Amino acid sequence: MLKRQTSFIVLILLTLLVTACSSGNNAASPSASAGGNSPAATQQAETGTPKDGGSLIIGVASDPVSLNPLYAGDRVSLTIDQALFAPLFQVNNGKKTFYLADSLTASADNLTYTLKLKDGLTWHDGQKLTADDVVFTVDSILDEKQNSFLRENFFVNGNPIKAVKVDDLTVEFKLPQVSPAFEATLVQVSPIPKHVFENEASIEKSTKNAAPVGSGAFKFKEYKTGEYVTLDRFDNYFGGKPHLDSVTYRIAKDTNAANLALQNGEINVKYLDPQDVSTIQATNNFEILPYSEGRLAYLMFNADSNTGALAKKEVRQALSYALSREEIIQTAYTSGEYADPAKSFLTPDALFFTNDVASFDNDPAKAKELLEAAGVKNLKLRFIVQSGNKAQEAVSLYVQQKLKAIGVEVELQNMDSSAWVQKFIDLKSTDFEIAMTGYIMGYDPDAYRILYTSTGSSNYARYKNTEVDKLLNDGAGEADAAKREALYKKAQELVADDAPIYPIAYTKTVVAVSKEYGGIDEAVLKPVVIFEDLSKVYKK
Amino acid sequence: MKRMIIRRLLQTIPMLFFVSVVCFSMIKLAPGDPVLSFVTPNMHAEDIERIRHNLGLDQPAYVQYGIWLKEVLQGNFGYSLVNHQPVLDQITARLPATAGLMGSAILLAVLLAIPLGLLGGANRNRWVDKTINFFSYLGISVPLFWLGILLIYLFAIHLRLLPSMGMRTIGVNSAWDVIKHGILPCVTLAFGFLAVYVRYIRSSTISQLKEEYVQIQYAFGSNKRTVLFRHVLKHVMLPVITLLGLSMGDLVAGAIVTESVFSWPGIGSLGMTAVRGMDYPLIMGITLLSSVMLILGNLLADILYGIVDPRIKGGR
Repeated sequence: MLKRQTSFIVLILLTLLVTACSSGNNAASPSASAGGNSPAATQQAETGTPKDGGSLIIGVASDPVSLNPLYAGDRVSLTIDQALFAPLFQVNNGKKTFYLADSLTASADNLTYTLKLKDGLTWHDGQKLTADDVVFTVDSILDEKQNSFLRENFFVNGNPIKAVKVDDLTVEFKLPQVSPAFEATLVQVSPIPKHVFENEASIEKSTKNAAPVGSGAFKFKEYKTGEYVTLDRFDNYFGGKPHLDSVTYRIAKDTNAANLALQNGEINVKYLDPQDVSTIQATNNFEILPYSEGRLAYLMFNADSNTGALAKKEVRQALSYALSREEIIQTAYTSGEYADPAKSFLTPDALFFTNDVASFDNDPAKAKELLEAAGVKNLKLRFIVQSGNKAQEAVSLYVQQKLKAIGVEVELQNMDSSAWVQKFIDLKSTDFEIAMTGYIMGYDPDAYRILYTSTGSSNYARYKNTEVDKLLNDGAGEADAAKREALYKKAQELVADDAPIYPIAYTKTVVAVSKEYGGIDEAVLKPVVIFEDLSKVYKK
Repeated sequence: MKRMIIRRLLQTIPMLFFVSVVCFSMIKLAPGDPVLSFVTPNMHAEDIERIRHNLGLDQPAYVQYGIWLKEVLQGNFGYSLVNHQPVLDQITARLPATAGLMGSAILLAVLLAIPLGLLGGANRNRWVDKTINFFSYLGISVPLFWLGILLIYLFAIHLRLLPSMGMRTIGVNSAWDVIKHGILPCVTLAFGFLAVYVRYIRSSTISQLKEEYVQIQYAFGSNKRTVLFRHVLKHVMLPVITLLGLSMGDLVAGAIVTESVFSWPGIGSLGMTAVRGMDYPLIMGITLLSSVMLILGNLLADILYGIVDPRIKGGR
């Protein structure tokens, strides 16, 4: 009796093990491209001309939140959606590259934009991609019930931008008033198929997102939650047949383990932290590619704290003088290779960017002078820090030490990252003065309006300058590029002089790409999504 | 026995209710805001408020709990706040991976611990015992994540014998492939438990060997192996079963770490993501599931106890 019962339990445990192992065996059959990453399989002659075939594995840090571009806000979803869904066009250094679109022209009064689509576009399921899909996408974004992240971007002063079909290949966008930032809004739009989502009550929760139908270079094949997302080559891609047979996004949550998998060839492309670069570089199997993410890292001065310590611009300037940009960059990013010193609140990829503005840097004597002139003594400041954030922790200690030298006491307040974010984005929180953070706002300077106008919804520094308000509001509605440039140049000068923030650096992101792959330049390294056009990447 | 099981199962209902209230309160008391996981700097305040309203997060906490409880009683565990997929689907999709990992780790730990513990106990203070002891202390003191990384480095990078991460080679679907991927996480997770079990079995073997029945067996002419595996083992199994029930909690915690290190697609890594995003429907679902597992694990241990030792049958 005893024996039988015990063996029964063992049987249960074994069954558990076996069912776990065999689950998922009913999915797709083994593909020919698998195993292509073993060292033996890659010993092919290295040539400069692109070759077809092979697969690429990109390491990502989490599961995608949504494989529908209307709801993708996180890095992983945006990265995968970039390959699945073609955009209308992209902008690099102010120049447009057209994808689904053939052209985009503004009317003389700048109130109507006409978008022409390329001829012969198809979705991954073979259906035609037409103006109806573009209009449907914009209507869905505008539909409050559909809950898209992009919705507010399609409103200018509370009035919606409307999309109207002219013919199968032409869409007109009607703007309620002049808004040159409209192009930067449209650049974020990747159309979704009308024939798939037409009668869905909630596109966000639709089960159809589990097997997305896109228009990009790669089509959806398989998603194993917690494991990977695999995409296959889309032969009818309008930009020409992609070189790779498939692309897989492998989910690896632990950075150390993911770096080992990279060295082991189980991952071919991955972001690197600056401190890991030397280890990966030493293997000599990877191209290490640092590129600008259009991100500004900065110290924020809360002008509206309950002590009123930072209300005066002279005090903020004095604090800036006490610090050295170069030293902070060394402290936070280990080397200047991954961060360019910043002065303007705009990032270098933004239109009308200039770093030729006032900068208060590394002059402790001047700092003391300014404090004295402002009549400030025994200044005490609170610096909020996210526990476990190495860059923030290191910089906060540096700031504490440097400000002590000019007689300013800094109290470091470490807290959980979600508590930190909650405090930081609450425009009513008054119990801290300094925080370190960063932003990526896109290439049109109008995006920065919500950060630096008095009533801006993201005016975290509680910065108030009516002149800047006027410049940024005028810039939003100015169609003439030269006049617009003058407005934003002036705004950058004024903001720099008021020192609501201490700009630290335009940080770079570092990507390691296995030397087995080519076509990286043609694919264009892009902030957030890694590759703009994966169809150009090939296996050597 | 049947009545004991029914009684114990009924007891789980108030227990689960209590767990859900505590868990929900903790999520709500913790700093942070689930909506923040959606927020990007170029998002407008109106969008943020709209998302908050649509998710029902602008309501008081007790109302949110009430709505959640009502739905759960109807068998609907709700949708994840982050990816809007049904909670139950996400959990059931990941359950087999976790169950497989835990089941195999426990099995491995027990199967190895029994002979090692008996061996150590029977050879007290000799070199065999000292070697086993050394590894036991190592197993108890080494953190799981460190051991995991070490094993990856050794077996995946250096010796190139095993894959370093995930549960499958991409595109390959065979049981052997899954087992190959499972070896390192299973060994990692089993190591700590093995050490604890060996220590327990060793010390109870030592005390059992002093009992009269052992002397009698020897007097009847039984050899050492028969005494150990036929007689001592039966007595030694008792604390092991209790331990099994008790270690369910550690097992869940260990699985979370192991799954993260090896990118094993189970409940643990899902739970970590949920906690980071303050995704309360998913956190609640996973907590309830872990509680049920703990309670059932303990119940199973008690039933086994009754089987191994008939004196305790009936839960008395």
